[in-house]
Amino acid sequence: MIDFSRVQKELQECSKDIEASGIKVTPVSDNLVHLTGIIPGPVGTPYEGGTFRLDITLPDGYPFEPPKMHFVTKVWHPNISSQSGAICLDILKDQWSPALTLKTALLSVQALLSAPAPDDPQDAVVAQQYLKDHQTFLSTARYWTESFAKTSSLGVEEKVQKLVEMGFPESQVRSTLEIVGGDENMALEKLLSS
Amino acid sequence: MEDSFSGDEDYYYSDRDSLDGLENDEADLQWVPPKGSSTKVITRESLLAAQKEDLRRVMELLSLREHHARTLLIHYRWDVEKLLAVLVENGKESLFNEAGVTVIDDADPMLPLSSTVMCDICMEEVAGDKATKMDCGHCFCNDCWTEHFIVKINEGQSKRIRCMAHKCNAICDEAVVRNLVSKKHPNLAEKFERFLLESFIEDNKMVKWCPSTPHCGNAIRVEEVEVCEVECACGAQFCFSCLSEAHSPCSCSMWDLWAKKCRDESETVNWITVHTKPCPKCHKPVEKNGGCNLVSCICGQAFCWLCGGATGRDHTWSRIAGHSCGRYKEDKAKKTERAKRELYRYMHYHNRYKAHTDSFKLESKLKETVLEKVSISEERESRLRDFSWVTNGLYRLFRSRRVLSYSYPFAFYMFGEELFKDEMTDEEREIKQHLFEDQQQQLEANVEKLSKFLEEPFDQYPDDKVMEIRMQVINLSVITDTLCKKMYECIENDLLGCLQLGTHNIARYQSKGIERASELSTCWTSVNTTTDKRQRSDADTSGVAYLIKDVLTPCNAVGGTLEHDRPSGSRSSDDSGCSSQKRVRKEDCLSGRFDLNLPAEVIDRN
Repeated sequence: MIDFSRVQKELQECSKDIEASGIKVTPVSDNLVHLTGIIPGPVGTPYEGGTFRLDITLPDGYPFEPPKMHFVTKVWHPNISSQSGAICLDILKDQWSPALTLKTALLSVQALLSAPAPDDPQDAVVAQQYLKDHQTFLSTARYWTESFAKTSSLGVEEKVQKLVEMGFPESQVRSTLEIVGGDENMALEKLLSS
Repeated sequence: MEDSFSGDEDYYYSDRDSLDGLENDEADLQWVPPKGSSTKVITRESLLAAQKEDLRRVMELLSLREHHARTLLIHYRWDVEKLLAVLVENGKESLFNEAGVTVIDDADPMLPLSSTVMCDICMEEVAGDKATKMDCGHCFCNDCWTEHFIVKINEGQSKRIRCMAHKCNAICDEAVVRNLVSKKHPNLAEKFERFLLESFIEDNKMVKWCPSTPHCGNAIRVEEVEVCEVECACGAQFCFSCLSEAHSPCSCSMWDLWAKKCRDESETVNWITVHTKPCPKCHKPVEKNGGCNLVSCICGQAFCWLCGGATGRDHTWSRIAGHSCGRYKEDKAKKTERAKRELYRYMHYHNRYKAHTDSFKLESKLKETVLEKVSISEERESRLRDFSWVTNGLYRLFRSRRVLSYSYPFAFYMFGEELFKDEMTDEEREIKQHLFEDQQQQLEANVEKLSKFLEEPFDQYPDDKVMEIRMQVINLSVITDTLCKKMYECIENDLLGCLQLGTHNIARYQSKGIERASELSTCWTSVNTTTDKRQRSDADTSGVAYLIKDVLTPCNAVGGTLEHDRPSGSRSSDDSGCSSQKRVRKEDCLSGRFDLNLPAEVIDRN
């Protein structure tokens, strides 16, 4: 059984210093089982300037079992799957401690963005590139940040319009945009795949 | 109960080098230190004691509390010597850190300092008496601890439940775990106990569960890790390295390959490719049973045996109607030839392996008739009184049969191409094969002779003829034993000794048969000790082995209550009960079955 009062407290705690950390956790539904996390790309990395969205699901045993997290925003990083967004991070697995919180876990993920561990890769292709052709890695990561992690300056209505013009029904466009958090590229991808 | 744990003076060692107990000579009782390993059976009762003994050593040496000692031992896989080596090399602090042991001498860890405590897990203020501080100094509320323990136990991590604080490597005090979990979840607390107890077996390279099915509940402990074969108190004989049946002089990997080969159908498939052709119409494999090369399948289709192509039904001297074969295809012929050779080779070895295994089974029946003959002879008015030569001879026959049958799979791999293709030149292989086969042949001939003499109806013979048979049996017993020993030596020194690649360790040849694990003496009361010692010494004349019996079944198949996993300190009452139960079983195995591993005089006595 999830300790909801603790989750509630965690959310409050997190929103207090949102300015300082830039880390945001918001519930997707009312039941606090499904949440969304936002982390800013660390300065001085190819992820700088991007806003990365993570999908968080709390298991029944939370906080005694680790939360399940994966990137929704596409990232080019050795320890994050470029396909599924799965994260390879010890504290989300066997090194989880109940004393950690969603915020500290997200901070660790942010730290992972700054300090990849290519020897223990989640995405072999990316890791290979990181080690063998670092320049290409940097530019690809930067390009991905540009393309996927930067919310376009367009307003919501403009995005809707743009996608409707591409031939998708408006209601579907709106709901998809909502799901992906307003990212038009993500929405397009989702619409194309559905 | 630590007191009743006896030391080494209780173990009897076999005289491995004496030929065997042909006569009731004193060689059997001579105390000779074992060259190889000795093994113990660890029973349900003795598991705790065996574990306690190791714990006690570590606790005394390092002046530690029990749970710390256990944590250390689990970390070092119950290898006390290794633990001590690390201690000497790296010092106490590093030893403790690595295993997650924190020892704080001051402040009672059970009592938090202030009246209320902020629990960092549930983020609530709780009263001081509702929180627990671990040895590492981290304090959380009892509810959170309990929840944490439950999750970890369910994850199967009972042996190493770490503190909840991030990056704290300390292992939680088992008493706290036991105490908190049992309040909320008594069943889980039992599971936790069992995990701790079984760790002694599962994390211990010196101890293994007996592989018998249904599981007898025993485990076996060896003194040294080396290749050996043991017999559990339940009668199961097995190879301690690979846990399959005792298979020497085959090495474990040879036996593994052989068992697989016999099981799977690859040879059948080989046979089919060599001896049949698929019908071009219905594709069933068709075997040619003679005659000309125009073959017809049961489906009615006629085809050419030479090329497998469909034909008409007419056949003349020069051609099959509607068909003419293509050219000779050398490649295919070669392949078929090779497969055929391989198959014949396998069949040769398998047939002999099988023949000896079958003889062994039949001769096991023989023992009943022979024992009957012995008792008839004993009733007779005759100057011959001692018939131990019969049972000894019989025992020697079984022993040699086993060696013979496993020598065939050994030879199959030793002189085949699968394992040692690049290790020997063809000439070397040939020389070695001749050497080995000579020995095998000699052994075989003598075993057959021995078998023949034992089958004689000696109970109906006059004394002088019986004496003659007696002489033959005694002689042949000595000869086969020597030949077996020679064969093992030859394998070790001449055949495997000079190979470079791969290690093929083979359990030593033991004249007296597979070592029978002796029971680890434990919780018996003094009343039982004397009888028990006698029995143990009997069993031990065939080798020293210790057995962990009835511990618990490895997984969770423990029927009923788990009386024996109770926390330390609270057992004593049922000791006498369990030992009596054990004696019943033991007598059972001495009288009910003919025990191949006991010298004849023991069997006679029963």
